[in-house]
Amino acid sequence: MKTATINQDVTDRLEIGDVTACYTCATCSGRCPATGIDGFDPRKLVRMAVLGMKDELVEARWPWICTMCGRCEYACPMDVKIGSLVRNIRSLRDRDKVPGTLHKGVEAALKTGNNFSIPKDDFIFVMNDVAEEFAEEEGLPDFEIPLDKTGANILCTVHGKLPFGQTDDLKWWWKIFYAAGESWTVPSDNWEGVNWALYTGDDAAMRTMVGRIVENMERLEAKSLLLPE
Amino acid sequence: MATRLGLQKWYPDALKQFTMYTVFDLLIKYIQEGRITLDPSRHPQLATYHDPCNYGRKSEMIFGHGYYEEPRWILNQCSANWVDMFPNRAAQFCCGAGGGAWLTPYEQERLAYGRKKVDQLKATGASLVVVSCHTCYDQFYKALRLTYGMENLQVKYLWAMVAEAIVMDQ
Repeated sequence: MKTATINQDVTDRLEIGDVTACYTCATCSGRCPATGIDGFDPRKLVRMAVLGMKDELVEARWPWICTMCGRCEYACPMDVKIGSLVRNIRSLRDRDKVPGTLHKGVEAALKTGNNFSIPKDDFIFVMNDVAEEFAEEEGLPDFEIPLDKTGANILCTVHGKLPFGQTDDLKWWWKIFYAAGESWTVPSDNWEGVNWALYTGDDAAMRTMVGRIVENMERLEAKSLLLPE
Repeated sequence: MATRLGLQKWYPDALKQFTMYTVFDLLIKYIQEGRITLDPSRHPQLATYHDPCNYGRKSEMIFGHGYYEEPRWILNQCSANWVDMFPNRAAQFCCGAGGGAWLTPYEQERLAYGRKKVDQLKATGASLVVVSCHTCYDQFYKALRLTYGMENLQVKYLWAMVAEAIVMDQ
C-alpha cells in the first residue's frame, strides 16, 4: 500500500518513531507561533507525512517558514518528532532549490571555511584592524588578537556575520577575555562557528564543518572549546 | 547547537580530549572565580530576557538540559532591573527567525511570526531586550524593532551586558 510504504520511508529516514502515532489533537497547532501563516499548521504537516504526501511537503514553503523552534514537539502527547520531520523534509529538497542564502552559505563554508567566503588574508586583516581599534577605545595598548596561538586554554570560533559586517560585536568577548586574563585563540582557517547545514538538513556538510573544528582543536592543542553563541 | 550535536554524534572521542563550554558556562565560571567583577548599576533601564530556542527548549530536548537559569543568573550580576516575559523558558516563543528562517526570502512570514514575541515583549514595558543568540539579535534589532514601532528598543547580547558591566581593575 502506497501510504504505508512512503510512511515507512519517512520513518526510516527520520529516525522519528512513528508519525502515525499522531492522533490529531492539535496541541502542536495551538502551541505553534506560526499557525495560520501561509495556511501553515504543524498538525497538517504531520498529517501530510502520515498520508505519504512527500513530494507536496518537499515542494511546500511551510518547512522553511517553520523555525524548528520545538514548541510543538515539546508538548506533543504522542512524542512525534515534528522538528526532525521538518528538517528531513528540508533535506529532501534539491540543493539548488533551497530558499535564500542557506545552501549558498553551506557551499561557501565547505569551499572557503566560512559562510561568507571571506578570504583568509581579509579575515586576518579585519581581525587585526578591529583589534587595533578596540585597544585604542578601551585604552589597552597591549591587546592583540591571538590568531593561531598554540596551547591556549580556549579556542573560539567566530560567527561569520561579525567579521563580514558587524565588527563592533566582536569586541564584547575580547573585553571579557582580557578582563578575565584568559589564554585564548582564534584559528585563521576554518574559523566559522555557525553551521547552516543544521538548517538545510545536510548531515554530510554538517559533519565536515564540525570535523574542521576538531582539527583546529588538535592542530592548536587547545584545551577547551567555546561554543559559538 | 550544530557543533555540540555534531561533536556528540560524530566525534565522541574528540569530546574526551577537550572541555566544551557554552557561553553561559564560561561566563559563570569567570564571575564565580572572581576573574571578572561586574557592576549591575551600569544597566539601570528596565530589561527583559529572550530565551533562545536552541540553548533553551531544544537543548533540553536534545541534550537533557535547557539553559534557562544560567542566563538569568548572569543577568542578575549585570542588571538590577529586569523582568521575565510570559511565557518563558521552555514555553517561550521563538523570535521568528530561527532554524535558518532569517536567511530565507520569506520576510513577511517571518515578521508575522515574530508578532507573538513582540506582544510578549511590549507587555513587559522593557526598553532593552537581552538575547544570547545571533539570529535572535538580528530579528529583534533589524526587523521586529522597526516593523512594530519599537524604534527606541535596545537589543543587547548577554555577553555585551556582561562586558559593559565589567569593572576593570587597573
